[in-house]
Amino acid sequence: MTEPTVARGFEVPASVDRIRRQAAMVGVIGLVALIGGAFVNRPQFFQSYLVAFIFWSGVSLGCLALLMVHHLSGGAWGLVIRRILEAAAKTLPLVALLFVPLIFGLEHVYEWAQPELVAKDPILLHKAPFLNTPFWVARTLIYFLLWSGMAFLLTKWSSQQDQGGAAGLDRRFARLSGPGLVIYGLTVSLAAIDWMMSVDPHWFSTIYGFVMVGGQGLSALAFIIIVLFTLTKSEPMSSVVQSKHLHDLGKLLFAFVMLYAYFTFSQFLIIWSANLPEEIPWYIRRLSNGWQFVMFALVLLHFALPFAMLLSADIKQNLRLLMPIALLLFVMRTVDVMFQVSPQFHEGIYIGWIDVAALVGVGGVWVAAFCHYLRGRPILPVNDPYLKEALANHGSH
Amino acid sequence: MASELTRQAVPTAPDEVPVLAPGQTFKSVTDTISGIVLTLKTPLFWFANFGIGFLLLQLFLLGVTMLLFKGTGVWGINQPVGWGFAIINFVWWIGIGHAGTLISAILFLFRQQWRMSINRAAEAMTLFAVICALQFPLFHTGRPWLAAYWLLPYPNTMGMWPQFRSPLIWDVFAVSTYGTISAVFWFTGLIPDLATMRDKAQGRLAKTIYGVLAMGWRGSAAHWRRYETAYMLLAGLSTPLVLSVHTVVSFDFAVSLIPGWHATLFPPYFVAGAIYSGFAMVLTLLIPIRAVYNLKGLITERHLDAMAKVMLATGWIVFYGYMMEAFVAWYSASYYEGFVIWNRMTGPYWWALWALVFCNGVMPQTLWFKKVRTSPVPLFIVSIIVNVGMWLERYVIVVTSLHRDYLPSSWGMYAGTVWDWAIYLGTIGLFLTLFYLFLRVLPMISIFEMRELVHKKSPGKHVEMME
Repeated sequence: MTEPTVARGFEVPASVDRIRRQAAMVGVIGLVALIGGAFVNRPQFFQSYLVAFIFWSGVSLGCLALLMVHHLSGGAWGLVIRRILEAAAKTLPLVALLFVPLIFGLEHVYEWAQPELVAKDPILLHKAPFLNTPFWVARTLIYFLLWSGMAFLLTKWSSQQDQGGAAGLDRRFARLSGPGLVIYGLTVSLAAIDWMMSVDPHWFSTIYGFVMVGGQGLSALAFIIIVLFTLTKSEPMSSVVQSKHLHDLGKLLFAFVMLYAYFTFSQFLIIWSANLPEEIPWYIRRLSNGWQFVMFALVLLHFALPFAMLLSADIKQNLRLLMPIALLLFVMRTVDVMFQVSPQFHEGIYIGWIDVAALVGVGGVWVAAFCHYLRGRPILPVNDPYLKEALANHGSH
Repeated sequence: MASELTRQAVPTAPDEVPVLAPGQTFKSVTDTISGIVLTLKTPLFWFANFGIGFLLLQLFLLGVTMLLFKGTGVWGINQPVGWGFAIINFVWWIGIGHAGTLISAILFLFRQQWRMSINRAAEAMTLFAVICALQFPLFHTGRPWLAAYWLLPYPNTMGMWPQFRSPLIWDVFAVSTYGTISAVFWFTGLIPDLATMRDKAQGRLAKTIYGVLAMGWRGSAAHWRRYETAYMLLAGLSTPLVLSVHTVVSFDFAVSLIPGWHATLFPPYFVAGAIYSGFAMVLTLLIPIRAVYNLKGLITERHLDAMAKVMLATGWIVFYGYMMEAFVAWYSASYYEGFVIWNRMTGPYWWALWALVFCNGVMPQTLWFKKVRTSPVPLFIVSIIVNVGMWLERYVIVVTSLHRDYLPSSWGMYAGTVWDWAIYLGTIGLFLTLFYLFLRVLPMISIFEMRELVHKKSPGKHVEMME
């Protein structure tokens, strides 16, 4: 019953290659439009690009974190998606490259990068030792070195395992992943402050790192479920992925939907009830001039609807029903990132074609790279000692 | 051979210790666990611990008598520190309870087998911790016999309602829900075992009492089906409680304006701290008990290892909270936020903060080493240190945020009085008394879940040894 699945070949289906080419094409079109946008409206180009960069880097980082969680916790759910996680984590050097254009337009995005504004503002002067261009760029560089390094090691060892390499590899995975998650938590929190929070340099919120981590986890899980949907259209994944795996992934998605709502609602309740002049402007901006409708949409479509749907065990186990929810959440993640960033640049509700071009352009390139990394290796970690157990069909648990 | 089977059945790393020592059978687990209760020979260890608890309980009664006789003036609270030991101890006890709920609900939903031999004791701990926690707000009202009248929103003709915008009222709902669900969950899980006790007990009185409590359980398939459904539903209901209760407790502070209290990070960081202290307390209780009662085959090093790992993870979240608070206090450029943190680090309570950093931040780093995670004695020491650290954390949060407010003319110092300590140590006595009574009269490990584990680990092997 369990033997044939392990013995069969685990080539990546041809559809991945097709998607890679299509994504690259879409990406190039998006980027061309985006570069056009840079000539039309330079500040908007950088502002839109920041949103796209934060969103897509979040997918990579969320996958890296889930990969490390899986290496520590084990479990069948993680083995089935490990290659997806690894391929997404491998894009991190590319994401670092995608970061570079931002450096040339910091003054269009961050008030603290405009010396004449800083000079007039005692709060910005106070923060200047931390929020200044060289240090800020150096920090991001360090984050990417750490993230890419961890992704590199984890995927390298995984390849060694495929070739039947050294024993004790699973211990090595765990040994990196423990400290790795600590590093991830600390660096992503700082990145949340650097990239997102400092867009409004007067505002601060200690939970913001958690918000970023939760958002990345949610983006990554939604992405994984979408990819699984595509992969299970053909062999071998169509016979590998079972309802028990989907149930676990569905539960994780459900947990992250709730967790993200919990983090953001906690932040809202605490700031709203204290109503302090240092903090409340951030929400006033986002609750007026049309932005409040985006917030309502987030409450409904980023939380309430997925929450209600994911309560059902049947939906969690059925990829055809789970996929649309994941897709909705994936789209709402982009809306949420935009909601966190854009109101700083636009008093009234705004979404322009440059925003879309940036998300699609960066996304196309990212997806093409992801498919490229997915292609190179078997679609499952074939030599993992627990794979047999993970693929065994015990019926219901 | 048995360990070979174990290895195939569970996805553990090959060198991992199993969740159940090899060679256990249906009979051996049933006899080991029920034997602790159904015997006339009570170990000296039990008398010693129960005795200490009972003595401290008398201290509690003394402290409460004094308090009711003289009023809250016997406590150290005054201006500017109007919240002292009562809230510190309340938060400390409520936090400790969280490990029980996490083990019984979340780990159940995650199908973690290592929860099976520790969930019963941990749930009992939760229940008793909630009872201890409740003493503090109850007596802090000054007239506990009127507390229900003040706190519960009942329809009345005078249109008098509690202040629903106050997180203290949210606490009433959060904690009473928590207590109720925990009690129901614990009792439901006990029913099949109470039937076993009924069947195994020799004395007439014991048979009757266990029989009444077992509510007519006969172990039929229909009983089991209903049981499983009920247990699953209760686990689902309990899961949000793991997060919600301490979130609401954190709102007691965070929803205010006080620098040092008003921080958006408080909810998740309090929840992590609660789980952290709860696991520390489970280890503090179970490490000596498993040695004395010879339960090392049921509560294995694997359990110690897993609990230590949870502590390491939650400990890091807590430590992250301290660092983030300090960093954002500077980053915010708010004079008062900065002052509170600076005052914590270098002011008159500097010792509390640095002791806290040592207990909660530095010491737990030893848990990175597997040797520490699986050795009972070092782990026991770490767990005690974390218990102390988590108390200090609440001490630092409550006292240092209040004692120097915006006006230096209204600054002051705070220290618990002898009656504060009497009531605090007294609740430890209450806790120990209840816990050791539980050990003596109820099976401290779930018998039927252990039988299930025996079946899963070595299918067929146990059958010939069944009675």
